[in-house]
Amino acid sequence: MALLEVRNLSVHFGGLAAVHDLSFVIEQGERLAIIGPNGAGKTTTFNLLTGQLKPSSGEVVFKGEQITHASVFARTHLGMARSFQITSLFPHQTVYVNALIGLQGTQRSRYRMFRPLFKDKALEMAAQELLESTELWDLRGEIASSLAYGQQRKLEMALSLASKPDLLLLDEPSCGLTTTESADITARIAALGSMITVLMIAHDMDLVFGVAERVILMHYGEIAAEGTCDEIRSNQMVRDIYMGSRKTLGHAR
Amino acid sequence: MGDRPDDVAKSDAPRGRARGGIAPTGKGARSFVETGLPVLAIGVVVLLLPLFLPTFVSSLVTKMMIFALFGMSLNLIWGYTGIPSFGHAAFFGLGGYGAGVLVLRVDITNFWLGLLFALLLTAAVAAILGFPAFRVFGVGASDNPIYFLLTTIAFGELLARAAIALRPITGGSTGLAGIPHPDLGFGITVTAGRYYYLVFVIFVVCLFIIYRIVNSHYGYALRGIHDNERRMQALGYNTWLYKYTSWIIAAVFGGVAGVMFAYFGGIMVPNNLSMITSDIAFLVVILGSTTTFFGPIVGSVAFVGVEYLASLYLPERWPLILGSLFVVTIMFIPQGLGVMILKLWRRLLYGAA
Amino acid sequence: MSTAIVIGLNGLSYAFILFLLAAGFSLTFGVMGVINLAHGALFVLGAYVGLEVVARIDNFWVAIAVAALALAVVGFGLYFFFLRHLYNKIPEQAVLTIGIAYMVANVILWIWGPVAQLGHAPGFLTGAFKVGTLSFPIYRLFIIGVGLLILALLWWLQDRTRVGAIIRAGMDNKDMTVSLGINYGLVSTLVFLLGMALAGVAGMLATPILGSYPSMGDNLLLLSLIVVVVGGTGYIQGTMLGALIIGLLDTFGKAYVPEAALFFSYIAFLAVLLIRPSGLIGRKVF
Repeated sequence: MALLEVRNLSVHFGGLAAVHDLSFVIEQGERLAIIGPNGAGKTTTFNLLTGQLKPSSGEVVFKGEQITHASVFARTHLGMARSFQITSLFPHQTVYVNALIGLQGTQRSRYRMFRPLFKDKALEMAAQELLESTELWDLRGEIASSLAYGQQRKLEMALSLASKPDLLLLDEPSCGLTTTESADITARIAALGSMITVLMIAHDMDLVFGVAERVILMHYGEIAAEGTCDEIRSNQMVRDIYMGSRKTLGHAR
Repeated sequence: MGDRPDDVAKSDAPRGRARGGIAPTGKGARSFVETGLPVLAIGVVVLLLPLFLPTFVSSLVTKMMIFALFGMSLNLIWGYTGIPSFGHAAFFGLGGYGAGVLVLRVDITNFWLGLLFALLLTAAVAAILGFPAFRVFGVGASDNPIYFLLTTIAFGELLARAAIALRPITGGSTGLAGIPHPDLGFGITVTAGRYYYLVFVIFVVCLFIIYRIVNSHYGYALRGIHDNERRMQALGYNTWLYKYTSWIIAAVFGGVAGVMFAYFGGIMVPNNLSMITSDIAFLVVILGSTTTFFGPIVGSVAFVGVEYLASLYLPERWPLILGSLFVVTIMFIPQGLGVMILKLWRRLLYGAA
Repeated sequence: MSTAIVIGLNGLSYAFILFLLAAGFSLTFGVMGVINLAHGALFVLGAYVGLEVVARIDNFWVAIAVAALALAVVGFGLYFFFLRHLYNKIPEQAVLTIGIAYMVANVILWIWGPVAQLGHAPGFLTGAFKVGTLSFPIYRLFIIGVGLLILALLWWLQDRTRVGAIIRAGMDNKDMTVSLGINYGLVSTLVFLLGMALAGVAGMLATPILGSYPSMGDNLLLLSLIVVVVGGTGYIQGTMLGALIIGLLDTFGKAYVPEAALFFSYIAFLAVLLIRPSGLIGRKVF
């Protein structure tokens, strides 16, 4: 059974079809990238998958469950998680509190009204583990908004992984990073292990070809091409639509 | 206030900008000297005050405690969850009217029954109003809460008009007058002198409960919603439910303040439900600071203090002074007196940081 | 039937008073996104300044001009020293202008005392207009006329002039407008002044009907809020629509179901906020 199955998904804004009759599947452990020029419907697709946006027709099935109309937070509880393109942290809280808030989102304790957050030993252990794995433990006392941009991206990643997702949706994970930082993120995503399935939308071809096993090219809200990295690299239509434009990137040439 | 010094440590900024003295783990493990001592000292002073000072002082302090609780209940949703309600007096008034109506119209004089009834009433009304309120206050609305501000103003005005219209129950536009001294049961009636202690006890209990709530798992979720609601949803939080429940909790504590106010003055008028009274809560919070737990206490002390001085020397110009208090606060001390006091205290303790 | 016509005419003239009251507020709130909760108090200030002029030189028209000028000056101070620094900070704007409202109301009380004052219409506008058994005060007809004139003027300003275009562009994207080299700051200051001047004109015009007393600002403010929200933010025709709805609803309500009428405008207000926060014919400004 596929982990995520998208069937004939469409969404219209006014008369305009932003995404039209989109169907694809992701198998457990796969790394899939969705690419396409600006306005191709990548972000809309992403929002449909996270639940931010509700489709006009079609369905989304996750682990065999209908989640087409499920709320954003319900999807998280089923095992989906996402990152944000614009860094999306809790800017006024410390790195440590960011981690604690991130971790308890899928735990029953999140509704406890009378027990201090800082006396939850299990949560503190989990926070330490999470922050150590993202090399942020030494910065735990810093206010999130005071971190350098690359560190904020790391915290962003930590928050996305906090709910221990089965499927991770990444929105332009290397957006705005330097080449080194971008390479670092690429390595991190590659190192996630087969327990976490990854779907990303991306512009950065180095990242896509460094991480993805399969690539979907979107154009005008529909799937224009689909295949392995090699197939996509050599696909003439891909060259015409995407790399033929001024956005020639990475080894694509 | 002196019973649990560690728990009433009051410097956890909801949006934690003040960093001095916070342990690197963010654990908030502060020394007894930093928080426990001042809390204990203030508690003892407030407790012993009526023994040494004239009655009018304890009356002032009573009022300070009532408005401090009113402000803290608003700060729970404004400072922590990020919901700046402009109709918070609706719940203050409901609490006061609820208790007063039970005493004067139903003839149930027991204070605890009155309190219970008032709180149930406030919670019920808040639960109903919460549905439309959080339709208007959608995801991420803390950035542009204007329609929510207007909606909450309308709540307060509607209730004030209802209080005018329901004359047989509420006394109409002249208000509900003649609320007697509270009867605590067991033959104990609290006279004016002893009312101070009743308010003190209730204030400390409420303070303790609010403190526990804002530092709990739930409380940090509220801070998270203030900072970034979309991220909270993506992390698995049902943010609507948090906003809705914190709104009801805030309403209930606002109701407690209202009940104490009703017994304090012996009268409730429709204006206690409308914008004029909501303004006071707003001023108390912003004057004290929305980013510290104890801010509204400072705000209330300042507000009631200035009001008293004005009533002595310039009673005619009180609205002018009140107005300038708003203006000066916004233009010159936007972070609030609470933050200033906190910084000053830490500098005193640890030297220039 | 004839009573219904008189009530209707009364409602209509009330609607135009509401329009005049809310027009200035609508400009600053709906168009610029500045919430000025001192609007009611300043409106009353305009009325008192006008009445003072009438008391001294007994000229209704000069009084209107002076009221407009006085409020424009006060508005400039309010905008330049305070509101300009609170761009996009809605709760802060609200708190600040509440403070200003308290201060203005108290200053009015200080200078002119607590006794309510009633303005008098100039001689040729007094008296009543009679058709058969119906009679209707001429001054109310005059108010309707002035209201229509101001509506036309603002409509023209909004749709046909460069200032209107800049303001609309600024609503869509302030940063972009500024980066195009347009002096948005100047334009928005002028619009704020215009809004205040309008409040002065309207304040003076309304005195023969509403009278003036220092504490009436709160009610006027709430009425302006209701009118602007119900009609719709961002367009002057929305304010007119809101004024018509609230004016007629209130007048007919008071005539036929007086007990319930107290609630009508607030129920309309809440209903619109819930169903269409941007108002019946408005656009979302925030």
